[in-house]
Amino acid sequence: MKRQVPLALCFLFGIVMILTQFVPHKYVQALYKEFIDWGLIISPFALVLAVITLIQTHTTRVRRRTEHWQYSFLVFAGMIIMVCVGVPFGEQDSVFVWLYDNVQVPMDATMFSLLAFFIASAAFRAFRARSFEATLLLVTAMIVMLGNIPIGDLVWNKVMSWTPWADGASGARQWILDVLNSAARRGIILGVSLGVISQSIRIILGIERSYLGGGD
Amino acid sequence: MIKTTQWVAICLVLCLSVSTAFSQESAAPSNVTAVDTPNDDGSSITIKWDAAAEDTGISGYQILRRIADGDLEEIGGLLPAETTNYVDSSIQQGTAYTYIVRAVTEAEATVDSEQTAPVKGTGEWFHTGKTPLFVAMLLFSAAIVWNIYNARSGKEIFVRRIPGLEAVDEALGRATEMGRSILYVLGLGGVDNVATIASMTILGQVARRTADYETPLRVPCNEPVVLNVVREVVKTSYLDEGRPDAYNEENIFFLTGDQFAYAAGVDGMMIREKPAAIFLQGTFAAESLLMAETGNSIGAIQIAGTDSEHQLPFFIAACDYTLIGEELYAASAYLSREPMLLGSLKGQDWGKILIFLTIVLGVVLELFGVNWITTLLQRVS
Repeated sequence: MKRQVPLALCFLFGIVMILTQFVPHKYVQALYKEFIDWGLIISPFALVLAVITLIQTHTTRVRRRTEHWQYSFLVFAGMIIMVCVGVPFGEQDSVFVWLYDNVQVPMDATMFSLLAFFIASAAFRAFRARSFEATLLLVTAMIVMLGNIPIGDLVWNKVMSWTPWADGASGARQWILDVLNSAARRGIILGVSLGVISQSIRIILGIERSYLGGGD
Repeated sequence: MIKTTQWVAICLVLCLSVSTAFSQESAAPSNVTAVDTPNDDGSSITIKWDAAAEDTGISGYQILRRIADGDLEEIGGLLPAETTNYVDSSIQQGTAYTYIVRAVTEAEATVDSEQTAPVKGTGEWFHTGKTPLFVAMLLFSAAIVWNIYNARSGKEIFVRRIPGLEAVDEALGRATEMGRSILYVLGLGGVDNVATIASMTILGQVARRTADYETPLRVPCNEPVVLNVVREVVKTSYLDEGRPDAYNEENIFFLTGDQFAYAAGVDGMMIREKPAAIFLQGTFAAESLLMAETGNSIGAIQIAGTDSEHQLPFFIAACDYTLIGEELYAASAYLSREPMLLGSLKGQDWGKILIFLTIVLGVVLELFGVNWITTLLQRVS
């Protein structure tokens, strides 16, 4: 019973949600909006549980004095301050907005900026010409990078003027992105789309049930 | 002489009148029709008319609407001169409307079209424009169900080797030997994301093995609903393996809902705890490389898998094994070896063959100037 009810609900809602994509009638579309709203209603309840686990995790860290346990106080402080400012005064309140703009946004930007260094280190590893494929990757990457900088066209036209790309490195770069890259991407997207449909059918029919915890 | 002058004047006035009348006639919008917009929920009516000739001096159009014998009301403001249709989305369902299209000339004169016949907006029960998509979906679903049904007969199904999934046992064994934990990251997707569900099915299989090996499995989540489902998945896997005592709920926890804060938190865990094996499975965005490179720097064996095609190059560069796109969805069948799940993979392959043949046929037909496949596919999209 514990397993059959969720499977039956999954089948029912799955079929209805597929139908909403093909039936434009207002009654069916109203049903679709209703189901989406139900999904939204579940989220706040789950959020309460999530916040409780967050507090439990950091309380345990403090109690056990694990490595860098002091930072857990920052989590509690951040949570309490944002709740105290956000709940009574709303998220449009100037103090709340100031905290968001001057604490959250710079920290996000800092993490995002680190990506440049990570890309450089990953590229260095990936572009080492140890095999034919890696060499091909290196050459292609060089052309794309050359096409992204203003001096690239100048260098290309001096050295590679015999190639069919009249626009220089930027033309070659665009050709690589539009033809080779797009073809590979579309192949992946087609495979992913079929995989999604296949997975959805398995879930709707109750064949794939490991998301319920596996077993019967 | 006077008589002649009078005749000339009369002729001039007549010519002027006729030419003005003719010019107004040509400026009036022609072939105006109002129809219930096809394939909608009945909330709109589409008005169409023919494009005006270039020399008519029309600067724009106004749409006038009337309910039964009521007054005319203008809707939609002044439309550009090149407009030839307008969708009225402000109608009441079940009410009949008539429309007049008014042409506005550069001299700010107006010429009205004939009034259209009354029309009501009604909702359709099937989107006819999606018929090819519906048929394709039915065919593909039938292929999968047929193969699942066949798989139940016990016939062995060949599945090509997927190195990323073959390496799961190696990664878990390595972590167990080293006495370190396993970190499983589900990405940013919510529970409504199919990639996240696929990731959960892999997690279920991984959890069965960690239950056997008694290796700590750490799962930081960034979505509250996912957290609760994941706890249930892992707990049931431990129960199924007869090791409920080894299950530790504290190892599956909510980290944060923010993208980069989540990346920072996961990176921090990697640096502090130095897990021996890291699984990055699900939907990822810009944070993918932040995590994968950090995992690489601590020397962990990393198995990634995502359907986000923009993140795949990052995973390929930074991880030991990567499940590319559809391999993520095949993982559950591959790891469990359950015949019915494997059968669905075969059905999936039939779909790929069909798409491949359609593409080849479309290209060949295009070379001969026949473009009905291209037109059909454009209609579907």
